[in-house]
Amino acid sequence: MVVLLAMGYLIVASVDHHFDEQDRVAVQGKLELIQNILAMDGPSNQESFALKLKDSLVGHHELVVMVAAGDTVIFRTEHAGFLARYLQDPVNYSVREYVNLHSWQDDGHKYRGIAVILPESPGTKTRFTVAIAIDAQQHITFMDMFKLQLMLVGLVGLVLMGCLGWIVTRRGLMPVSNMARVAEGITAQRIDDRLRLDSLPKELHSLAISFNDMLDRLEGSFHRLSDYASDIAHELRTPVNTLMTQTQVSLSLSRTPDQYREILYSNLEEYERLARIISDMLFLAKADNGLMIPSRQQVKVHNEVGALFEFYDALAAEKNVRLQISGAAELQADPLMIRRALSNLLSNAIRHSQVGSAIEVNIASESGEVRINIANEGDTLTPSQLERVFDRFYRADASRSRGDDGAGLGLGLAITRSIIEAHHGRISAASAHGRTCFFVVIPINA
Amino acid sequence: MKILIVEDEPKTGEYLSQGLSEAGFAIELVQNGDDGLHRALQYEYDLVILDVMLPGLNGWQVLQSIRKHGLQVPVLFLTARDQVEDRVSGLEMGADDYLVKPFSFAELLARVRTILRRGRGGIEAKTLNVADLELDLLRRRATRSGRRIDLTAKEFGLLELLMRRQGEVLPRSLIASQVWDMNFDSDTNVVEVAMRRLRSKVDDAFAPKLIHTVRGMGYVLEEKNT
Repeated sequence: MVVLLAMGYLIVASVDHHFDEQDRVAVQGKLELIQNILAMDGPSNQESFALKLKDSLVGHHELVVMVAAGDTVIFRTEHAGFLARYLQDPVNYSVREYVNLHSWQDDGHKYRGIAVILPESPGTKTRFTVAIAIDAQQHITFMDMFKLQLMLVGLVGLVLMGCLGWIVTRRGLMPVSNMARVAEGITAQRIDDRLRLDSLPKELHSLAISFNDMLDRLEGSFHRLSDYASDIAHELRTPVNTLMTQTQVSLSLSRTPDQYREILYSNLEEYERLARIISDMLFLAKADNGLMIPSRQQVKVHNEVGALFEFYDALAAEKNVRLQISGAAELQADPLMIRRALSNLLSNAIRHSQVGSAIEVNIASESGEVRINIANEGDTLTPSQLERVFDRFYRADASRSRGDDGAGLGLGLAITRSIIEAHHGRISAASAHGRTCFFVVIPINA
Repeated sequence: MKILIVEDEPKTGEYLSQGLSEAGFAIELVQNGDDGLHRALQYEYDLVILDVMLPGLNGWQVLQSIRKHGLQVPVLFLTARDQVEDRVSGLEMGADDYLVKPFSFAELLARVRTILRRGRGGIEAKTLNVADLELDLLRRRATRSGRRIDLTAKEFGLLELLMRRQGEVLPRSLIASQVWDMNFDSDTNVVEVAMRRLRSKVDDAFAPKLIHTVRGMGYVLEEKNT
């Protein structure tokens, strides 16, 4: 728009200037002609001068000329009255320069021209004044027309450009609105929908890839969440179902106090299990929502492991498993949480250790991180087991899922992972040749 | 020993007062914060058990008012909200202890006894005796019927806890916390195994048996007259 306006102005100005120049050249040519005639005929022969001048002006009816010798007009064309009036005004009398054109207005016509006092020739004392003007009406009309046309063209161009821009933008954004349609169509039931890259221009590929990646992550989280919800339901349904059945069966007949006591004990065990699940789930839910904020203190990792060794001493001794520690490190962490995380790893290692084997805990600190490796000997975990080992309610040995030997709720390693992640660390596991190792890495000052 | 329980959940309140009165305490139960505060200011109690979520004044407000009136009665909080902030604000306001629901009754009883025992310092005993079992606290040595029993440091600590609180049922979580400083629900039956090993040393070769398992509750050390 601005460019268009500026261009229009420039065009008008240059055309105007061109006309100016043309007028000036014409006027100057005539002036020279008059000078020549005057020089040839001399100032005395006024009649022949007027005749010759008249001849030379034939066909130039747009020109208005007036020549005066002293105060007497010796020649004038039609309509030249305004020039006489102009020259009689003493203010304008001394005009010598004809670089700039004057503008006059007379009888609705616009004139441009010059008025010059010729230098006195040495022979005579007569001073000649010449005024030449050219009727600029044609040019002005043309300019007005030209401006109008220019404006019209500009306007049409503007509208065209707008339309074209709209169409181009729309066409260009078509893939984006396609993407939006796909995005709108994605719901929990149709979370596997993806953008097809081949239908998109190259410029949008990276956007589409990020979009698809985001969907992949969301789909993963979504599936985990829904699995998780059904897992919770399942985990809670089993003990509740047991409790209900047991209570109903117990009440169907009259029993001895000892029998009732037995039933209550058995119920108590289920209740405790439920309470444990609930408090562990609460812990994990807090971690998921970022509410688990470690209160950091200086923690000596080897001391924590040592304390845990003392705690698990009896259990390990009973299984004839040796507990070995090497290395030392310190970090800023929540001691209670770290202890809990390591406790779960250690308990897991003891549970899956072969009788008579050793559990090795290695602690090291390097490049701002503390590394804790916990290795035990036992069954090799398959890659698919390793992948799920930190999932909630996952138990590698399904047959022992509800064992009474403390096989756990399947939440221990999930809790460990959430604690380590709350400390901005990471945990992974590897298993080969009957040896399983968990690798914990925590930044020293996270 | 008189205990005031402020608990709006009728079933919980009823069982708490039944359990605690059967454990030998005098119990008064009220169901809202205003009544609780009124009673606490009016009468003298050895302990107030306060639920946090109460109709009317909540537990925190009741505690604040009690402390504002200059009463130093111990307060044990019951909270369903497992939030760190709750614990911090509760302890800052002068609560003596808290339990997060769901908790086991054995745990509550053990905590109640711990709080009531506080401030009754007395002279620190040098030896602990139950029947013919003797614990020499200075020399860290255990003997039964004059025969030396070899114990590891933690086994000694475990036996000391049981003997100091003889006759009390101690839940596993309390034992894990007191002996090994494990202040979370540990994933295993570690306490059970440790207790089994201690028993084999303390009880196997002797009569009568002193360490007893109270099913579903925990362990108790006492001389039972059977």
